[in-house]
Amino acid sequence: MWDEYLFPQSVDEALEMLKAHVGNARIMAGGTDLTLQSQRRQVPAKVVVDIARISGLDHVEERDGLIYIGAHVTHAQVAASPLIRSRAGVLAEACGSVGGPQIRNVGTLVGNVVNALPAADGAMALFAMDAEAEVAEGTGRRWTPIASLYAGVGRCTVDSCEAMITQLRVPALRDGEAGAFERLAKRKALILPILNTAVVVGGDGSKIERARIAIGPVATTPFVATEAAAALVGRAPDGAAVAEAAKLASEAAEPRYSLLRGSAEYRKSMVEVLVRRALTRAVARASGEEDENANS
Amino acid sequence: MSTRVVGQSVPKKDAASKVRGSRKFPQDFNMEDQLHAKVVWSEYPHARVVKIDISEAEALPGVVKVITAEDVPVNEYGIIIPDQPVLVGEGDKVRWLGDRIAIVVAESEDTARKAGRLVQVEYEPLPVVSDPREAMKPGAPLVHDERGDTNVFRHIKIRKGDWAKGLAEADVVVESYYVTPYVEHVYMQPDAGIGYIDDHGRVTVISAAQWAGHDIPQIAQMLDLPQDQVRIIVPAVGGAFGGREDMHVQHLLALCAYLLRRPVKMVFDGSEVMTRTGKRHPYYVKYRTGATSDGKLTGVEVEIIAESGAHASTSVPVLEAGTSFAAGPYVVPNAKVDAYAVYTNNAVTMAMRGFGTTQSAFIYEMQMSKLADALDMDPVELRMKNLFQDGSIGLTGHEMPEGVGIKEALRQAALAGGWKEEDGRWIRPDLGPPSVAHKRRGLAVACGLKNVGYSFGSDDKATVGVQLALDHSGDIERVTVLTAACDVGMGAQTALAQMAAEALGVGYNQVRVSLVDTAKAPDSGSCSASRLVWIAGNALVRACQEALQKRDQILMAETGETFVAAEHEFRGLSVRETTPYDAETGMCVPHFSYGYTSQIALVEVDTETGETEVLKFWAVQDVGKAVNPEMVRGQAAGGVHMGVGYALTEEYIQQEGVAKTRHLSDYYIPTVMDMPQEFTSVTVEVPDPTGPFGAKGVGEMTTLPTAPAIISAIHDAVGVWIDEFPATAERVWRAMQDK
Amino acid sequence: MPTLSMIVNGKEVSVEAGAGDLLADVLRDELGLIGTKVSCGEGECGACTVLVDGLSVTSCIYPALKAQGREVTTIEGLPQDGQLHPIQQAFVDVTAPQCGYCIPGMIMSAKALLDENPRPTREKIKEGISGNLCRCTGYYQIVEAIELAAERMAEKGGAR
Repeated sequence: MWDEYLFPQSVDEALEMLKAHVGNARIMAGGTDLTLQSQRRQVPAKVVVDIARISGLDHVEERDGLIYIGAHVTHAQVAASPLIRSRAGVLAEACGSVGGPQIRNVGTLVGNVVNALPAADGAMALFAMDAEAEVAEGTGRRWTPIASLYAGVGRCTVDSCEAMITQLRVPALRDGEAGAFERLAKRKALILPILNTAVVVGGDGSKIERARIAIGPVATTPFVATEAAAALVGRAPDGAAVAEAAKLASEAAEPRYSLLRGSAEYRKSMVEVLVRRALTRAVARASGEEDENANS
Repeated sequence: MSTRVVGQSVPKKDAASKVRGSRKFPQDFNMEDQLHAKVVWSEYPHARVVKIDISEAEALPGVVKVITAEDVPVNEYGIIIPDQPVLVGEGDKVRWLGDRIAIVVAESEDTARKAGRLVQVEYEPLPVVSDPREAMKPGAPLVHDERGDTNVFRHIKIRKGDWAKGLAEADVVVESYYVTPYVEHVYMQPDAGIGYIDDHGRVTVISAAQWAGHDIPQIAQMLDLPQDQVRIIVPAVGGAFGGREDMHVQHLLALCAYLLRRPVKMVFDGSEVMTRTGKRHPYYVKYRTGATSDGKLTGVEVEIIAESGAHASTSVPVLEAGTSFAAGPYVVPNAKVDAYAVYTNNAVTMAMRGFGTTQSAFIYEMQMSKLADALDMDPVELRMKNLFQDGSIGLTGHEMPEGVGIKEALRQAALAGGWKEEDGRWIRPDLGPPSVAHKRRGLAVACGLKNVGYSFGSDDKATVGVQLALDHSGDIERVTVLTAACDVGMGAQTALAQMAAEALGVGYNQVRVSLVDTAKAPDSGSCSASRLVWIAGNALVRACQEALQKRDQILMAETGETFVAAEHEFRGLSVRETTPYDAETGMCVPHFSYGYTSQIALVEVDTETGETEVLKFWAVQDVGKAVNPEMVRGQAAGGVHMGVGYALTEEYIQQEGVAKTRHLSDYYIPTVMDMPQEFTSVTVEVPDPTGPFGAKGVGEMTTLPTAPAIISAIHDAVGVWIDEFPATAERVWRAMQDK
Repeated sequence: MPTLSMIVNGKEVSVEAGAGDLLADVLRDELGLIGTKVSCGEGECGACTVLVDGLSVTSCIYPALKAQGREVTTIEGLPQDGQLHPIQQAFVDVTAPQCGYCIPGMIMSAKALLDENPRPTREKIKEGISGNLCRCTGYYQIVEAIELAAERMAEKGGAR
């Protein structure tokens, strides 16, 4: 499967290793996706550059209102982090629904982003929270919005044979701001979703000032329902506003037929249901009504 | 009957080694000098093999041999009829994706896999038939053209009473069309093993199996060897559920060992287990049920088309069993049943927990649920009016033997589920409000019955031996039970040890059960048909009695011998004669013995998404005598697990003979989070006078009523009938939209 | 071939491991620790669960070399002086194992759970084994075994 397994001690060393192997080496974090893809010969790289021993990539910390999450941080750590649970709850909720405990212990949030699937739970929350990723490549480091990383199903604009993502950052939720995550799947654990959505709403209590709605998999990348979110801005955070936004989100989403996930018609209808439920919970949390991590 | 060891939840004989992880499963064995083998599978569901070029594969360093059809002494096998090629050669056909082209044997598994990819095969694709209804039509592509000019290879007819009159005179007729899905066993231990030549020159296989004694003649025939030159050792079986009745690796390992004269190991990977092994038969069913306005069944008209996939496997006995229960545990005076076993190019279908009766339970119980709804009658009450009792006449005109516990099972289930009985009327409980506004609750009941042992005149038998080690005063110190019966996880070996202890008057800890080795232990028949406790138990009890007699003779004669051995062959036909279906009327005495079950499901359906959650579930099983009550509860829970999956989440999807469900990650068995939140198992004991200590069998029946109970409960909740299942969220949602 | 050094069940071990080898295969084939079972081969069933630095992982998709220098605990590491660990004993006492193939993985997940949360609710126990599939038992007796183990371990003064 692989010819070499390398442990760089720094990000620069990792990038050098990638360069030296000219497209035949690839960054690995947890490896839960990459190992299978390599076994199934879906990924040609023969040299693994395992970033697990690079120090400075395992942080979850807040600075100036932004929460920074390092490349090593696993789904389990995100889900359990008191900082994320209190200041970015939707992200904890999303990461806690992935796979099962074993996958969450090893799979990283950054790795999930790089895997670039349109239904990735953690990524959905990152989209809803307007996350950014720090890309480390030969020329240096740069921050880029999360949406810019997604080129299509399984295609990340950051090529793991040339570069790596070192950390993510999301604006911590402010007062009056809250998120919620909803997932529809064929069983309750160990399964990819038929549909998932992450939403964030915020306002002064009497009217909604900010909203973001991310939905997947209804396109080749996570889908941000901009029109639906815009329809909430300026409205009172009530059932009518939520219902309208959910309806607009459903109209905008164009899922295709999937043998394993279901028909386009069903999934389009379920967009309305999930978005409505997520918005309802987010609105309740934003106004302080609901416990941050209660389940629907 | 009061018992001392039987009836106790003693620790299982294999539990300690299994919690340590030290109990070796077939893939845990390694032998010195061993080679590794991988199968090269067909790439088409239906094609002629024009050319096979193994030269590149053979040339890969580390490859020892690439076995093809020419290397197989007798290239055909099958559990009943030898309609399967071991390896498909040039000029022959592949009939599904599980047919094999070659076996690569190499120094490492990795090399074998790589070499497998270098085997070049030229195919001439043939038209694929992937729907049994299409396969029955004249002009359909023939799967086994060498067997005749039709894909239908068994047609069972039942004509009882005056079925037309029975339906014409009914006050209400319920008519439905049902489709039951392809599902996979999902035993957790992948098919695997080692073949080698033992010290006596025997071709020996270490693998899992359900009937080692039946694998032997098939292997012997394939290798053109006498049967005593073939040996099978079954060290542990990681689940079976019928899925190991047909050989998946035993013959391949035997062939490798025979040709290479070195140990050869083979392990299936997850996708091979999922896509290249057999599944449960789908049934396509037209069903009409007639009843009077006060709920007495007057007649049924049923057509069952059972999809057999590419090879017959056990389709004939599966369909025969399923058909014999087409009307369930109900007295039906008039019946017309036509059942067909049909070849297609889809996955081979074979035994799977219930052996054709699981699908039948779905159809007869859904009919009863619909009838209760049509008559506005309580579903328990309707069933009580029609259920079998001792002596009732069954669908094929036979008398139900003593020990019919179905009414008792239903009564206990209903009471546990909250029903009240008042003067013969049954009143269902109030379900209370749903947990949230957009959900609805539903409650339903279902019944089932399953034969124990083989059927239709089959000479089902088991031989069990027992050895006693005596101390100097003639007391029994140690007991060894000798049997080649495979314990696939349900605890057969433990149950036999308990019965031996009981019959011999010794402690459970004084008894051990032999390793399953066909060279050293007698053939007790298959682990199937829920039969082992009943038939091997009967043989064991008699062997114990004989051993005690011999012991007493030793004492009387004062010979000082300290070792006693006895063996007994018990035949099911000695208890009750069973007979095959009459070709025209279908009348027969189908089975020796039966087990009975009833289950209740309380569900909550999300009216917006169609998702169903099972809140509470009660499983009641009449097992005659629970040899080990906790093991019985485990069988109840496990059967319900499979039924929950069958009802709600499991489907094996194929398109034109090509598997779309390729890995376990594509196939959704219930996780712990998907099981009913509250589960209650109640064991009823209406003794079977012919069973050891009154015991019947339990392994299969606990999965029979589960799907119809859940799917009937969905109707109770949201008013839709799901006739083609699993009742996935989308199916339920769609049915609600269409209402 | 690279050398893989780990502490397995408290003992330092060094074996040769190829770059593409998986931890499950190294444990089973190089170290003879066959208690760790391989089932689905894609990290989707939990049968192969072992602990790496105390965290449960599916070893069939965990690259062996990733465990370089780490502490690995397998089912064989649970008994002490030959005596079954309380979790193992509870499984026996509650008649939890049927075929037994999922059991080592279940027990390792239970160990990870109880090490972190010695008094879990039933719901937490279920979450703790939500990554472990079983086809035989329906899970109820397994959950009961873990509850019993937690009770007994608490009585004896804490997890081992």
